[in-house]
Amino acid sequence: MQDHDDAEYHYVSPEAYDAEADLQSLDRVDLDAPTYVLIWRRFLRHRLAVISGVYLVAIYLALPFIDFIAPYAPAQRDADFIYAPPQTVSFLTDGHFAVTYPIESTIDLETFQAKFETNYDKPEPIPIFANCGPKYYLFGVLESNLRLFCPPEGGTLHLMGADRLGRDIHSRIMHGARLSLTVGLIGIAISFSIGMVLGGVAGYFGGIVDWFVMRAIEIVRSLPELPLWLALSAAIPANWGPVSVFFMISIILGLLDWPGLARAVRSKFLALREEDYVKAAELMGASPGRIIGAHMMPNFMSHLVASATLSIPGMILGETALSFLGLGLRPPAVSWGLMLNDALNLTAVTIYPWITLPLVPVIMVVLAFNFLGDGLRDAMDPYS
Amino acid sequence: MTRLASLSRRAAALAGAAAMSVFASGAAALDMVETPILMHPVGEGQLPAVADRAPEEPLIVDIEGKGRRVGQHGGTIRTIVGRAKDIRMMVVYGYARLVGYDDHYNLVPDILRAVDEEEGRVFTLHLRKGHKWSDGHPFTTEDIRYWWEDVANNEELSPGGVPALMLVNGEPPNVTVTDETTIRFEWPAANPSFLPALAQARPPFIYRPAHFMKKYHVKYGDAAEIAAMVEKSKVRGWAQLHNRLDNMYDLDNPDLPTLQPWMNTSPKGAQRYVMRRNPYFHRFDMDGRQLPYIDEVDMTVAAGGLIPAKVNVGESDLQARGLSFADAPVLKKGEEGGGYVTHLWKSGVASEIALYPNLTYEDPAWREVMRDVRFRRALSLAVDRAIINKSLFFGLAKPAANSALPESPFYDEANAEAWAQFDPAEANRLLDEMGLDQRAGDGTRLMPDGRPVEIIVETAGERPEEADALELVAETWRDIGVKLIYRPLDRDILRNRAYAGQSMMPVWFGWNNGVPTPEAAPQELAPVDQANFSWPRWGQYYQTSGGSGEEPDTPEGKRLMELFDQWSSAKTDQERSEIWKEMLAIHADQVFVIGLVNQAPQPVVASNKLRNVPEKGLYAWDPGAHFGVHRMDEFFFVK
Repeated sequence: MQDHDDAEYHYVSPEAYDAEADLQSLDRVDLDAPTYVLIWRRFLRHRLAVISGVYLVAIYLALPFIDFIAPYAPAQRDADFIYAPPQTVSFLTDGHFAVTYPIESTIDLETFQAKFETNYDKPEPIPIFANCGPKYYLFGVLESNLRLFCPPEGGTLHLMGADRLGRDIHSRIMHGARLSLTVGLIGIAISFSIGMVLGGVAGYFGGIVDWFVMRAIEIVRSLPELPLWLALSAAIPANWGPVSVFFMISIILGLLDWPGLARAVRSKFLALREEDYVKAAELMGASPGRIIGAHMMPNFMSHLVASATLSIPGMILGETALSFLGLGLRPPAVSWGLMLNDALNLTAVTIYPWITLPLVPVIMVVLAFNFLGDGLRDAMDPYS
Repeated sequence: MTRLASLSRRAAALAGAAAMSVFASGAAALDMVETPILMHPVGEGQLPAVADRAPEEPLIVDIEGKGRRVGQHGGTIRTIVGRAKDIRMMVVYGYARLVGYDDHYNLVPDILRAVDEEEGRVFTLHLRKGHKWSDGHPFTTEDIRYWWEDVANNEELSPGGVPALMLVNGEPPNVTVTDETTIRFEWPAANPSFLPALAQARPPFIYRPAHFMKKYHVKYGDAAEIAAMVEKSKVRGWAQLHNRLDNMYDLDNPDLPTLQPWMNTSPKGAQRYVMRRNPYFHRFDMDGRQLPYIDEVDMTVAAGGLIPAKVNVGESDLQARGLSFADAPVLKKGEEGGGYVTHLWKSGVASEIALYPNLTYEDPAWREVMRDVRFRRALSLAVDRAIINKSLFFGLAKPAANSALPESPFYDEANAEAWAQFDPAEANRLLDEMGLDQRAGDGTRLMPDGRPVEIIVETAGERPEEADALELVAETWRDIGVKLIYRPLDRDILRNRAYAGQSMMPVWFGWNNGVPTPEAAPQELAPVDQANFSWPRWGQYYQTSGGSGEEPDTPEGKRLMELFDQWSSAKTDQERSEIWKEMLAIHADQVFVIGLVNQAPQPVVASNKLRNVPEKGLYAWDPGAHFGVHRMDEFFFVK
């Protein structure tokens, strides 16, 4: 009985005593992991962010292989399938993995609409890993016309319908992703480098440097954006291809977008430079570059990453907004912004609603980036 | 009045029509019926009775003779315009002109009772006795004299001088007023543009409401009063004030009397403009009802992109402006709910979408290439017009070169088809033959100086069809090694670049006048206008009388110029027809303008209660004035 009472008041480990054990070691070694491991663990707890991250990585990895994945080339058109509606696909039918049903078009001069009849009696197998359509160059070198899946022989495969020239919307959305998803990255990269450098320098040095940077920010901020875009797009030489134009636009977007970030970096640095560890580094003779880059910036990473992911959707929509005005990308380039531009009329919305389908990837990508940014921001402060 | 034996066919027609209308009014047993909406003001004594308002010699329209129904008075036509400035469309649609085109595109007197033409140089205009302005003041030759002597020849009011139309070889006409209804314009040489110009959609108004405008003219008005008014309206001087109030075309001054069927009653800057019937209008139907049948036209200003949506829900009773063929399905779908019908008229331009290789482009090497007819023919041959027609217009337009439409007496199938079949092999052969046989790695041909054959097509970017058509053109041009780059610009920037010779190949409509008649001036076919993208610098040379620009220096350019001069001095329709035919043939052969398709369908939406709106018609600016030649004043509502 006595023993029992003692056990209630004094805990005694049932394990045998180990004389070799290091008494300095931590009880929970997992918490002593390097920062990146902590961040990673924290990030994995944010389910939506993980799913979004996987989704984004997947589509970005797919970008170089779009020619292979999409059943049609972006400019391929068929005058018989103007405004064709999305086609039906059945899986594992008639001994084929996937079949589609041919549609026939007639023009109804009463309603001025093309009418499409699906013939469900004649399923057409969809060839998988087949050669079809125009040749493309994988990575710019490998010539091929192998595609993941192809329209059936002599038939069509418009999974999301066709547009006003009879081009496949599904394939165009995929090809459009190339421009629409990269325009954001280039723009962000530029605006971040400018914002971090100028904001960091202003916050660290203060004084006259700060004054000049702040005035520069005010000037850029006060520029009326629309006329500026107008002028800049007019300044791009007419004989540039759409890709160079797009590149130019992302640079323009990036050059205009840095002041917000620069201000945030500056204000944080004004506080950080008074910290003891900064003083210590200075006394040890570290250069300003090293102090800013190695000592101060990591304290600020969570904010940077979060605002980067949050501004990527803004960039995608920015390109959309420019194309919208007929100023940004222009045909024959294919981008989500251009496709939405075509969808903006009453006819598209009421009679051919599938023209508005490019909205779906825009919404999905923007949401994914927002969730990812949310998760990263939480994860970047693992000690909180 | 002296009538010479050598009267042209047109003069005879005019005189004939005049005789008819005289006869009709001679049968003046016309029992005039009071318009219901005006009964009250007439009863109150605010307005004279209809018989006193009408001219003694009204224009009596045989509505049934035209295959239309005699209508009834009343109702409001609602229509939508894209911007407040467009209320001027009421002057266009109303189409009351001194002389105007009838539905067969013949010139007939309208506001005038008759016109006598002698030797193509002496024009005697006969006004209708008792014709009145919309404020009830008589419309007489004084109004024309006032315009000629006190407006056109007043240096302060017309700093640019007399309008070019009134000058023949720099000579103004000799203007004689015989009496209240007769005035004579006499030029030393023929002025064949005079009468057709009066019938334009935007005519030169050679008459002004003198009784109203004199108050503002220093010669007639009270100097102190004018000074006070100038002060009050904050303009620089009396001339500016006069010109601001005197916009017969813009219709922006509700106080300015008019001769049009409807007059504006709303001040500037409104969102909605109410056009009320002109109680003194000169046209009547055979039952004695004063036209127009419709009491009011209600013009609402809405953003251009919203017009199809608003029409779709039935907010317009008559609409063509702001609608394109791409809207046709949605218009058709909304018919039941909106209570309207959709007609498809035909566009009256010579080509719906046309490319203009600039023969006066600033780059000498390119200019050389553009001037080679083989290049232009090759480009035209390499356009798959059938596909464009099918993709853009459901095959409802006609694949044809820029040429006269079948409605024109000069229609020639050979011209319409010249170099308009799809033949890339022949196009390639022509390009090889002219020495563009070197190609870059991507298949683009190279110019002799090594630059790629890249054509920058500039456009005002106002029509989405244009971009689509150019995409299709670019595809087939790529196969012949020509790269097309499409560049949208603002309309004004595009024009200025073209005038300066910096535009390579603008895209625009074809000739505005797709139904040329002998008396129409062939100015779109000759290098006389800098606004013609084929030769802006040559046009400039003509318009500035050699002051700037360049003289036409190709045989064809010179020949067109010669023909234009010949047309200007031609005395008979026979001669003029021959000249037109030759000019059209030169254009067909030389492909100065690469037309893609013509006779494109134009949706016209009319309320299903509105009658006399033609089911088929030509929708053209000039000649035509859109609804003008279709005589909107004869449209009416059934109850």
